[in-house]
Parts: sequence; C-alpha cells; structure tokens
Amino acid sequence: MLRIGIDIGGTFTDLTALEESGRAHLWKEPTTPADPMAAILTGLEGLAGSLDRPVAELLGEARLLVHGTTIATNTVIQRNGPRIGLLATKGFRDVLYFRDAWKPERFNMRFAPPEPFVERFLRRGVSERIGPAGQVVAPLDEDEVRRHAAYLGEHGVEAVAVAFLWSIVNPDHEHRAAAILREELPDAYVVCSADVVPEIREWERTSAAVLSAYVLPGIDAYFGRLKSDIAAAGLGEDPLIMQLNGGCAPIDEVLKRPVYALHSGPAAAPAAAAHHAGRRGLRDVITIDMGGTSFDVCLVREGRAARSRSIRVDQQPVGVEAVAVHSVGAGGGSIAYVDEGGALNVGPRSAGSVPGPAAYGAGGTEPTVTDANVVLGYLDPEAFLGGRRELRADLAEQAIAAGVGEPLGLDPVAAAAGVIRVVNASMTAAVRAVSVERGLDPRNFALVVGGGAGGLHASALARDLGIERVVIPREAGTLCAFGMTVTDVRHDYLQPLHCTSDSLDSAALDALYAGLEERGRARLGDDGFAAEEIRVERSVDARYPGQVYELTVAIPAAESYGPEHLAQIEDAFHAEHERQFGYRREELPVEFLHWRAAAVGRMDLLHEGAVAAVATTVAAAPLGERRVYVPALGEVAAVPLFKVEALATGSRVDGPAVVAGDTTTILLEPGDVLRCDEDDSFLIEVGKGGD
Amino acid sequence: MDQVTFSVMMRRLESISLEMTQALERSAWSSIIALCHDFSCVIYDAKGRQLSVHDPIPALVTSLELVVDAIEEGFGDDIADGDIFLCNDPYRGNTHVGDLVISRPVFVEERLMFWLMIKAHHIDVGAFEPASCTAAARDTFQEGLRIPPLKIVAAGTPRLDVLELVLSNVRLRNLVEGDLLAQIGSAERGRRLILEFCEEFGLETVEEYGEEVIAYADRRMGAVIERIPDGSYRGSGWVDSDGYAVKNVPVEVTVEVSGDQVVVDFEGTGAQAEGGFNSSVATTLTAGRIPFLFYADPDIPHNQGCFEHIEVRAPKGTIANPEYPASTSCATVVPAAMFHDAINKALAAAVPEMVHAGTARCSNVPQFFGVDEETGEEWAMMIFNNCGGSGAVKEADGWPLLESVAAMGGQKALPIEQMELLYPVQVEEMEIEPDSMGFGTTIGGFGVRFTIRPLKGSMHCITFGDGTANPPHGAVGGTPAIGGGQFVEEAASGRRTYVSASGHVLVARGDTWTGVATGGGGYGSPLERDAERVRREVRDGVIGRAAATEIFGLVIGEGDDPALDAAATRARRAELASRARPLVEPTEPEAATWVEENLRPGDLYLENPTVD
Repeated sequence: MLRIGIDIGGTFTDLTALEESGRAHLWKEPTTPADPMAAILTGLEGLAGSLDRPVAELLGEARLLVHGTTIATNTVIQRNGPRIGLLATKGFRDVLYFRDAWKPERFNMRFAPPEPFVERFLRRGVSERIGPAGQVVAPLDEDEVRRHAAYLGEHGVEAVAVAFLWSIVNPDHEHRAAAILREELPDAYVVCSADVVPEIREWERTSAAVLSAYVLPGIDAYFGRLKSDIAAAGLGEDPLIMQLNGGCAPIDEVLKRPVYALHSGPAAAPAAAAHHAGRRGLRDVITIDMGGTSFDVCLVREGRAARSRSIRVDQQPVGVEAVAVHSVGAGGGSIAYVDEGGALNVGPRSAGSVPGPAAYGAGGTEPTVTDANVVLGYLDPEAFLGGRRELRADLAEQAIAAGVGEPLGLDPVAAAAGVIRVVNASMTAAVRAVSVERGLDPRNFALVVGGGAGGLHASALARDLGIERVVIPREAGTLCAFGMTVTDVRHDYLQPLHCTSDSLDSAALDALYAGLEERGRARLGDDGFAAEEIRVERSVDARYPGQVYELTVAIPAAESYGPEHLAQIEDAFHAEHERQFGYRREELPVEFLHWRAAAVGRMDLLHEGAVAAVATTVAAAPLGERRVYVPALGEVAAVPLFKVEALATGSRVDGPAVVAGDTTTILLEPGDVLRCDEDDSFLIEVGKGGD
Repeated sequence: MDQVTFSVMMRRLESISLEMTQALERSAWSSIIALCHDFSCVIYDAKGRQLSVHDPIPALVTSLELVVDAIEEGFGDDIADGDIFLCNDPYRGNTHVGDLVISRPVFVEERLMFWLMIKAHHIDVGAFEPASCTAAARDTFQEGLRIPPLKIVAAGTPRLDVLELVLSNVRLRNLVEGDLLAQIGSAERGRRLILEFCEEFGLETVEEYGEEVIAYADRRMGAVIERIPDGSYRGSGWVDSDGYAVKNVPVEVTVEVSGDQVVVDFEGTGAQAEGGFNSSVATTLTAGRIPFLFYADPDIPHNQGCFEHIEVRAPKGTIANPEYPASTSCATVVPAAMFHDAINKALAAAVPEMVHAGTARCSNVPQFFGVDEETGEEWAMMIFNNCGGSGAVKEADGWPLLESVAAMGGQKALPIEQMELLYPVQVEEMEIEPDSMGFGTTIGGFGVRFTIRPLKGSMHCITFGDGTANPPHGAVGGTPAIGGGQFVEEAASGRRTYVSASGHVLVARGDTWTGVATGGGGYGSPLERDAERVRREVRDGVIGRAAATEIFGLVIGEGDDPALDAAATRARRAELASRARPLVEPTEPEAATWVEENLRPGDLYLENPTVD
C-alpha cells in the first residue's frame, strides 16, 4: 500500500511515494511547461524505478494519489485563459476594475493599472436588485439576461461569471440567470459567485467568480487528461487535487469552485510540517520552503495551518479562506544588485530556471543567491541534484564579483556572504510577518524546513529569530509533494447570519449548523469516508459592532447553542482581539457575520506514531572536509563534510559542518547540534552545543 | 557601517512600520481608518528626523517633525518612558484638525531614542458641521476641537479625564474612542519591536544606522535633483473657491533649482481664504516636498535625507501660510493638491520625463451624516469609493480612485455591501464615467459616477473638493480631464440641484445624490496613443466615438466591436498633427464645462451651499 504525491513547481515536478512503513521515496523531474503531463509520466517512471518496479505496479499499489498543480495559477499569472463574460447587477459591472481602490507602491507613478480579466464590453449589467436582508428590491429581468447571453455568445465567450450584489443572502437571481445562460449557451461554463464564496464584500466575491470562470475551461480539460492518463498507467482510484485551503478534494468538487485549484502546491507544505511536528510533540511550528524564485512561509499552530481571507494571485483576491502561505521573492534564483545609493538588495527579480543562476552556465550573468552559496563553498559543483546538474563555480564567482563585489569594494567571498545576509534578512522579515502579525512570538516556534537550499539558511534564520529548534525532514527537497501524501480531504462551507451576541437567535444558528454539517458529512460520505473518519470544525467571523474588519475565531460544536456556549465564543473573541491588537472592549457585545464549517475527512495515516527522542547519539564520522565560509567566524575555514545518505538514526553532527545530500544541503554553525532521528529526519538544536 | 548590516537594518525598520500599519488597520473602528486607510505610521529618531515609513498616505507624513517639536516645546524635560501624546493642532505643527496624532517616545536604556508617530484622519472632531473636513469653517474654532500636545497616557497610566474631554466634544464618541485605542495599540506594537531591534543590533549600531540611512536617502535624492537642469521655473493653477465668495484663488509657485538643491516658493499665491481652504505650515511643507518623492525611484527610503534638498517658502497671509486663526480644515487636499500640480506644471518643460499630469483633487469624496429614523441612532461615513483618477505619466496611464496626491491610492473603498449593512443607504450605481479623463499618449485614470439614496430619513452630504471649475491639467500635449461635479436629484420631479466642488446639502429620503468624479489629466499627444488600444477603449465604452475621432484621430467601423482602419487613421492623424497643444493645459481659470453641459432646463446650480 502506497500513497503518492505529485507537485508541479516552476522548475521541478516533485514526486513522493510514501510506504506504509513510513519510508518515503523522492524523485525530482524537470517540469515540462508546455505539457505538464509529460513530466508527471516520466517522473512516475523515475519514481517506480527507484522502487524497482514498473509504473503499473507502483500505481496499482497506490491507495491514494494527490496532485498539486500550477496550471490554474499560471493561467492567471500569464493571462492566457479564454475569453470570458460577466453578468453583474446593473450599475456595478466595473467592480473588478475598481478593486478596493488601493494602489500598491504609492510613489510609483510608472506602475500601470492592472488589466481586468473580463473586457468591459463583455461585462453586462442586469436589471435586478436584492437588499441586505435578502428581499427582492427589483426583480430579475430574464429577457435582458437572454439578450446578454446571445451577445456574449456572438463574441465567443467560453465561460461566464455571474456575480450580483447580496447574492449571499439570496442567490435566487444568480441561480436563475445561470440557468438561462446554460439554456442559451450550452457549451459555455457558468459560475455563480454565491456558489464559490458566499461571503459579504462584492469585490472579493466577484473576483472569486471571475477567476473561477477564467481557469475553469483549462483545468477541466487538464484534470480530464490527468484522470485518463493516470488510469491508463495503472491507477485504480481517481486522483485527488490539492486545494489552497490545505486539504485535497475530488476533481468534481474542485470544478464546482475552481479558485480552490489556485496555489495548490504550496498549500501542502503546512500539512507536511504539521505531520512532522505532531510526531515530535511540537505543537507550534513555522514552515519555510525555499524554491527557485520564492520563499514561502506558513505558520502552524496547535497542528493547524494559519489561514487568511486576503490571499491574492496577480493582485486579484481569490476571495475564499485559504492557507496563509506568505511568499516573498527570495529564492535561489533571486538576483542581487547594488542600487544607486550603494545599498545591497536581493530580489524580487529572479533568474528563474532559464537562464537560471550564473553557475548553471546557461547564459545567466547576474549574481543570484545560488551563486553566492556556490562561492561560499556550500554547494558541491559536482554533486548538485545527485550529479544531474553541474554548477560552474568560476561563473558564479565572476557574477558575484562584478555585480556585488566591485560596486561595494568587497572580495567575492565577502560579497557573497553579504548577499546571503541580505536575503536572510528578507526571509526573517517574512517569518516575522506571519507570526508577529498574529501577535505571536516566533521564539516559541520550531522551524520546519523545505526546499533544496532551505537547510543552508535554516540555522542563520533560526538564530535571527531566536528559534531554538529546527526540523529538516528527510523529504525537505520535495516537501510539498510529501505534504500531499499526509493531507486530509477538506471541504469548506459558510453561511451568513448577521447578529450580535445580545441578539443571537440560537434556534436559527442551530438550524444553520445542522444544515452545514449535513452537507459536509454527506459530501465526505460520497468521498468514501466513514462517519468516524469525519470531523467538522466550526468557526465564526466576529467583530465589535461598528468595527469594520472581522477576526475568525474557532467555536465549540453544539447541537443547541445556549448562554454558556455564547459566553465561550465571546471570551474567545475578546482574547483573540487583545492578543492581536493590544486591547479589548468587554463592555460591548460581539457582532457575528459568517458562520463557517470545515468538513475534514481524516486520512488514516500510514505512520503517525511518535518519533521518540533518540536516547543516545553517536558522533558521526565525517567523509572528508570542505572549505566553506563560516558566518560565525567571518571567514573561510575547513569544516567536516557529511553525507545525508550516510547518516543513520542516532548519528550526531556538531557544527561547524556541512551535511550534503542529493536534494538538500545543510549548513551547521559552531554550536549547532544535528541529530538524525528515528524517522531519518534531522533535528538541529541551534547554538546549544559546544558548551 | 558595512553595507550589508545597513541593508539588513533598513529592511527590519521598514517591517516595523509595516507591522504598526497592519495593527492599526485591522483593529480600527471607523471605516475611514479601517477601510479607507486614511492614516500613516512613521518612525522618527530622537532628533525628530523622519527615519522610516511603509507605503504611507503621502500627505500624512513628511512633516511630523513639526509635531515632535511642538511636544518638546510644550513639555521640555517632562517626557518620560510610558508617556503617550495626542495632538491635532494645525498651529502647532499638525496638518489639519481631522488628523489626530498619537506620539509615543521610545526610551532605550533610559534614553529617548525614537518617536513613533501615528497620524490618523478621524471621522469626527466636533466641528460645527458633522464632518471633519469642512469648507465652510470660517476659523479654527468652527472646524472642531483643537488639541495642543497633551498626555493621553502619562507614564503608562491612561488619562481617562483627558480621553473623556475629547470624547465629550465629538458626536461619534464610540468610533473616536475605538480609533484612538487602535492608534495607541499600534504604537505599543511598534515600541516592542523597536526594543527588540535595539537589543539585537546594540544602541551604538542603531544610532550609526540612523545617520547612515539619512545620508543614503540624501545621496539618492541629491542625484534626482541633479537631473533637473538649474534654473527658475514658474507654475500656476487655481483653487475653485475660498469656501465662500472668492472664486479661482490663484496658486503661484517658483521652483528654483541649483545643483542638488531646490527652493519651492509660493510667492504670489492668493490671499488667505475665508473658509476652510487654507494650508497649515505642515501641509505646505509636505506639499512642497512630495512632488520630488514622486520623481525619485519608489524604493528610496522617504526619510529626512530626502528633505534636506528641498526648502519650502510661503508668504504669510496667503492660503499657503495663513494668519491665525484661519481655518485649515481641508488643508491636505484643498489647497495642497493644487500646490503639487503647480510644481509639476512648473517643471514640465525642464524635465517632461519626470512630471505627471494633473490628478483629481478630492473630486467626489462625500461625507454623509444622518439619523436613522427607526432607531434614532446617528451614523456617518466618509467614502472614497468613487473619487477621481490620477494623472498620466510618460510610461503609464493613470489609475482610477486615486483621490488626490494627498492619498495617491493609499485609501480604500468601502464595499457596497458593507456600506449597505452598516448604514441606512442604497447604492444605485458605481461605474466608469466615459470620457472623464484627460487624453494623451497615455491617458488619465478614469473618473467614476456614483449614486446613493438614503433609506431611513434624510442625509447630509458635505463635500470639500476642488476642481469642478479648474480640472486636472494635461501635460506635455495631453488634454485636461473633465472636472466632474455633483448633484441632488428629487425623485418626484426629476429636478437636479448641481453643487460646486464643495458644499453642504441635504438629501431627502427617496432622493438621490450623484457624484461624477473627474479622471486624471492626459500626457503627451493623443495622436501618438496606440490606435488599437483606443479602438478597444471605444468598444469598451470608456472613450466616446467623438473623442476618438476628433482628438485621437481614429477611423473605425460601426458595431459593438468596430474594426480599425489603420491607413485612414494614419492619414487623419497626420492631418491633425498640425494643431499644436500647449505644454500644459488649461492656461486659464474656469476651463471646465461639465456642469454647464449637463444642466437641463429647470435644474439649479449652487455655489458652496450650506444647510442651516
């Protein structure tokens, strides 16, 4: 019995097969952007080969295959989706163009306004109006909808979003308009805003509907092909799709709410982190994943990933609640430069995979973070990616010298060390942003590290942040693909019920949750989960009356909500408000907007036993020495070199040292102690040894 | 200090101002702060020099050293750890009474090291009208409660008596209290982070960094000014009115550039206004500095080092520097936005690649106030959903909803559904207004038409804009925008009452208020705009066929998705090319024609109306 995770990234397609024993097999295959299935199929060959069996046998043994894809994200970023239309309440068809009026980069007059996803002549206003209480203020003009359908058809739209004001409290007009569109345009895809995200705020909801319509034709075709190709290769079950809410779902469910397919890969990192943390008794961790172009951070508290309702793709809000993966342009390919005032900067511009860092020898001349890591001796030019790619140290040094060293008057090593310090500062700021923003002190967290180069920066980041423990899973190089093998199936539902804590209609709330629970459990039942594998988590969006923004707070489940539950909910809100914003106003009631239910189908984990602390550790024997720059010493020194693959459970390595592997490399500073635990993962105690 | 440590510290300090910003935004009460984002958090050093700020509202920063000075003048040695000051006095260094400044001195090892300055525009400061920007205020006593620097928290103990004094003088005490608490919370967040920052790097390094980062910005801004050829440049413009009878108040500016120094002098600007359209000392200083920040790369740290290159002078007794007790109620936009445009006009000939065309000057930014007939509760909102566009630059079209240079898109719109949930109103329309922007090779950001109806009782609408008569200018051959306007429409008769850019009107239950915001000005010759792009803009209904033909020289076919006749367009453009346009336009006051074009028989037009 196996589980397989496949994560398509910008540079690599990562594959992980997880055995019942807990043993994970990893494979990295270069991504094939023109036809992503090609890399999946060759990657499966590679993965099967590493397990010594044919692909059909590998897939035949798989109980589960979860796939994370960039196809939806790329459609949005590259703007290569089909022509789509929008039906909006008359007078409001420019909602998406106006956005929230906020212009980023205030002082950048040369920054052009973003192009809308729906051309204005295909944004059509419909006579209809619903009021805030769900009352029909003006009836839907059905003839007008038919005329718009004909017009959109003439102009060749492939998908239409329908987004009316107040459809969240009364979706009748949206649903009726959608039915007419389907009659008139049988070949077009139709998406209603209230079906994607029944939340107040028309901009975010319209955006979610439009993004959904924009990606739907593409993902429908792609998922169809995925299903048939993988079935032909031997998979018995349909694949599941990783969603941006941190859980996976069957293809038909994702097609109903296509925004959930955006950002699908990175959302799996927290699942991997939560898995590793949980097995080690760590409740609160921060996951970092350093890729080629970006550095992704996510906070996992009490085993749950932090969530956000303000995630955007290419400046467009996705509208739905998602795993709060904070991304900054600080990856291996990020370019370092000295500005006209003499300050050293790194990113957000990236050399990408083509031409890539100068060290790739593919024509890149600008210095990148990877080049700095080569100059400092951390990356072995011969052994990068298990020897599948050679690095040119001479080109890396030239680029660092020309782009950073000369302008700052530093030798190449000092310049490279500077690049690393600056990029580390950006990463530190990103970690602080996700923790301090929520009123949490990063010092109380452990760091879980992903990405091939994550291990090179982890110790320094932990030091800057005051973090004492770092976990580097054996699967660090393919963290998200691994996360997909340990994620749950998740469906998010919500419903508005606007009231305050002194005017709550308990019966209405009980009925609301009875409905949401039934919906969630029925859907998970259809997905094949037994009742005992299902849990439903409840939460509510709350604020003080008169306040504008809400906090989402977890609430207890109850069949019938009484005063004691209400008191609990109020207390939880006051406490969260004070933690995040520094004050509370208990004299006021609490106002509630949307009630949420997350239906989670719990995957029985193949291995979830605790990883015992290794009682005795044996100092590992180094394989040799390497001359690297040791930040704490401020100079190049010969340090012991270890191989990841040669370290067994119970091995101990004291810094300074370099631990190198096929898909990940770790730098230990003086005082760091690394231990290889039962799981063959690494635990670093930062600055704790040597005393 | 080594460059790397420097770069690291710069990022850290920026992230501290960002965190302060987030804390305030998410916990504030009034929509003007929480959603419209009309606030900024700034870090000053012990010497009162601006050090770090994150993506601020331009008008709210770049002059807070004057408030630090006023606190020091008022309290001398009596400034202790745990004190938090409040000030909104435009005659003691503040911009206008609507902006309440919370200042928190930060002590490290018992030494004053930083000032955290959190300036936020409050919805209500107890003016004689229910608005915090009022064109009709005849002096500072009418514009609201004026608060000199005082301690709202003394050595860690909240002064509830002082807080109550403030709250007793405003109509919406619940919102003002919540917003003040949120400002104080943001300052506390900042203080904790600053202490960690000092602990990590050590005081000596932190002080050294302060000097270095100011020197760094100084070098970069010096290089920007150096790019402007030495010389004396003049620009002018007109503020629609003084709030009362005087129309077209002249704004005159001379920009004197010499090497890396510039002197901005408002000599010749009109006499001080009878209404709330005077600029405070802080606002004039800000308005003189800000244009140059826009000429620099956006990543330059906006600290004191930039400002060392810019001197601002304003003669006493003018709208740029009025005699006490003139009202400066609307200062940050009127007249400040015209100061900014006048500087851009002055420099259009010398550095056309740097300047931008005119931006809306608070066109269509209503402050509504009413009493819910059913509950008896007072409600108020100031919205930026529907404000005007920004001027184009050489490389890019303008943005919609930029409001004015004072905000430059740093404010947010209130979602229609939030608005209808929070307040007893129904919004009827919010769409792009065709042909509202200036035309050019690049075009101004679009204007917006917005119509709203009160549902439970009548509603006051108070506006304090500028530009209905004197629209945003076109630059380097681009055309001006429309100027826009506003009107109240009676549901029964359909009769409209048009109102000048500022005024106070009552909208009866069932009637509607409509604002049409101006777009921004255009840049460069419209004949050089990409013809296919103009064709799409015609198709999309944002540029009319008449303008496309007359001004852009486009020849297109009929239908929803008209075809471009490229050869005929080239010929027509060649023919039109002989008509030269001035470098900046308009060159005379009262150039806008929108109101007279839209007045119908039986409609009224009112200049600066008031409600008794």
